[in-house]
Amino acid sequence: MDEYLVGVLSNVGVISFVALSAYLLLLTGEITFGQQAFFAIGAYAAGIATAMWGWTLAAGLGFGALAGALSATIVGVPTLRLHGLYFAIATLAFAEMVRILFEMFRYQIEIDGEWVGPNGADGFRDIRYIFENDISGMEFMLIIYGLLTVILAGFMLLERSRLGVIFRMIGEDEVLAGLQGVSVARYRILAAAIAGALAGIGGGLYAHLTTYIEPRIFDVMLGVHSLAYGLIGGLGTALGPILGVLIDIGLLESIRALSGYRMIIFGGLVALLLIVRPRGLLDERLVHRIGVALRGGRKMRV
Amino acid sequence: MLDISDLVTAYGKIEALKGVSLHVESGRITCLLGPNGAGKTTLMMSIAGILQPRRGSIRLEGDELLGLSPARIVAKGVALVPENRLVFPQMSVQENLYAGAYQRADKAAVEADIERMYGRFPRLKERREQLAGTLSGGEQQMLAVARALMSRPRVLLMDEPSLGLAPMIVAEIFSIIAELNRDGTTIFLVEQNAHMALQVAHQFFLMEQGRITFKGTPGQLAEDEVIQRAYLGARRAG
Amino acid sequence: MKYQSKATAVRWLMPVLLPAVFLAHPAFAQVRAKADVTCRQAGGPLEYDCIVKLINARSSEPLSGVSLTIGADMPSMPGVHHLRPAVAIEDQERGTYRAKLVLDMHGDWALQLNLSGPLRDRIVKVLRFEGGEVGEVKAGQGRKAHGH
Repeated sequence: MDEYLVGVLSNVGVISFVALSAYLLLLTGEITFGQQAFFAIGAYAAGIATAMWGWTLAAGLGFGALAGALSATIVGVPTLRLHGLYFAIATLAFAEMVRILFEMFRYQIEIDGEWVGPNGADGFRDIRYIFENDISGMEFMLIIYGLLTVILAGFMLLERSRLGVIFRMIGEDEVLAGLQGVSVARYRILAAAIAGALAGIGGGLYAHLTTYIEPRIFDVMLGVHSLAYGLIGGLGTALGPILGVLIDIGLLESIRALSGYRMIIFGGLVALLLIVRPRGLLDERLVHRIGVALRGGRKMRV
Repeated sequence: MLDISDLVTAYGKIEALKGVSLHVESGRITCLLGPNGAGKTTLMMSIAGILQPRRGSIRLEGDELLGLSPARIVAKGVALVPENRLVFPQMSVQENLYAGAYQRADKAAVEADIERMYGRFPRLKERREQLAGTLSGGEQQMLAVARALMSRPRVLLMDEPSLGLAPMIVAEIFSIIAELNRDGTTIFLVEQNAHMALQVAHQFFLMEQGRITFKGTPGQLAEDEVIQRAYLGARRAG
Repeated sequence: MKYQSKATAVRWLMPVLLPAVFLAHPAFAQVRAKADVTCRQAGGPLEYDCIVKLINARSSEPLSGVSLTIGADMPSMPGVHHLRPAVAIEDQERGTYRAKLVLDMHGDWALQLNLSGPLRDRIVKVLRFEGGEVGEVKAGQGRKAHGH
């Protein structure tokens, strides 16, 4: 497989994490423009852990996930009472705050005569774990997709689990969910924490994929896109946001002629889909119909 | 069964309930009538714990419900079929029924109850795999009632079950309400449709501008007057 | 629909973290490279000729015989605007490599110098491409998103 294809597929895989993160919150009925903040926190945390503290990649990614989950929980509590536009704006404000903090964040140590670490707006270079440990681009892509597969399997389990049903109940009607006896606040925070962890893992992978991160990477553009991926691909299944990423990065990147018009095409696609298919391509109806067809009239499992 | 006394619920500075007291008798159908904006839905939401009353008391067989979370109130045995938000539209009929049994751990009994619901509402059984949002208004109302019953409530609260339904369907819903009550369910009903409500209710309250202004049994007040006050309020009518 | 226990969330997060523990390779000492990149507009408005000077970070000796490709990403749009890496050819002068980049648009690009052969490494240089002007992006210089 050539270097470029590996690069594009790795990007698709990494961005899928933040798309899934936004998707999980969409499931619980919240529109967020702020998941890039946890992607950033995960990227910096994982990068610091491996490049500066000498941790292994696994530990670094775990640390990134933990940092994402913790910060998402901390943001989740005060925004619990916000909904719709107010919630969206609060998450956006938080994410911008995080980005600006990273522009001021300087923490460097000297390793082998080189200064390593986040250097404000100049970014954080030399997150060279995969080079120091001789992991090829292909191997790293497999690591990304291995983790993504695990996460997707988790989502499949979630959709069949009691927790998944709770998330959907809250997403469809929070008050009605409360009236069935669901502790809405607790589950909203849990969803935020899991979403933060997902974005954190994605950020950690991104930092190691590119070896270089800077605050600009994590601006609102990434947040809007990760939200849009779920809305385009569909809210009926976790494959929806991945489809969204594939459409955006895969399709538009593979047709270079379209690349310069990406924002126009992508924006138009979002607008069109919100009108004709408000819950995305793979929406609940389609997924439900496929599910019924697959069961093939067999007696329903209850 | 349910004792409400001096309940005050406010939205900011505006008191929607200005000291409401009423009593719902066990095993009966109690109806609350009143014009739009009288505070009926506010009362229902306050009992269910969605709104936090400022003061007063809501007792279920002596147990104070005030200050409990909606989840705890469901656990105590109060189920509300809210107005206008009947079902989880993107979930199947069957999943909606399971949602109603959310707090129950007795799986076998839940399965049995679902079968009982299908027995009582055969149309839901036909549509068990259909997404609830695709049901007709009447079917959604039936599903909402069935789902509320899945929590095995001691008292069933219903907020405007006739809202937006065709007259024939309304009649069907009310016959279901009467039937449920005959089987022993205590029902507390909010209605605008005074004519239908007075046919099934054992006792009723009139609510106007956040206060209970009349309490009695059907027949105690001329239906004309009840209807007039229920739709328009006494002050304007007088 | 099947109900499972409340521990599901915890159970499905753990497998994410555990297998990754086994992915670590032992680190080993290696030569590190330093690079100096200059680009000039050439031909079309988005075509640039770039010269890369590679040196050994320790000894400051020119690094010759390295296979070098130059990829590029726009930091303001992570994951997209990922350029197909251009192969750089070594000049007469030892340690000097040339490559031609065709960008999608003007703006800041993070050039990825991918080294392979005698040593494998990646060096990232952020450059601002604005028509004929190409410069290194320094802190406090006012970062621009991209060149729409």
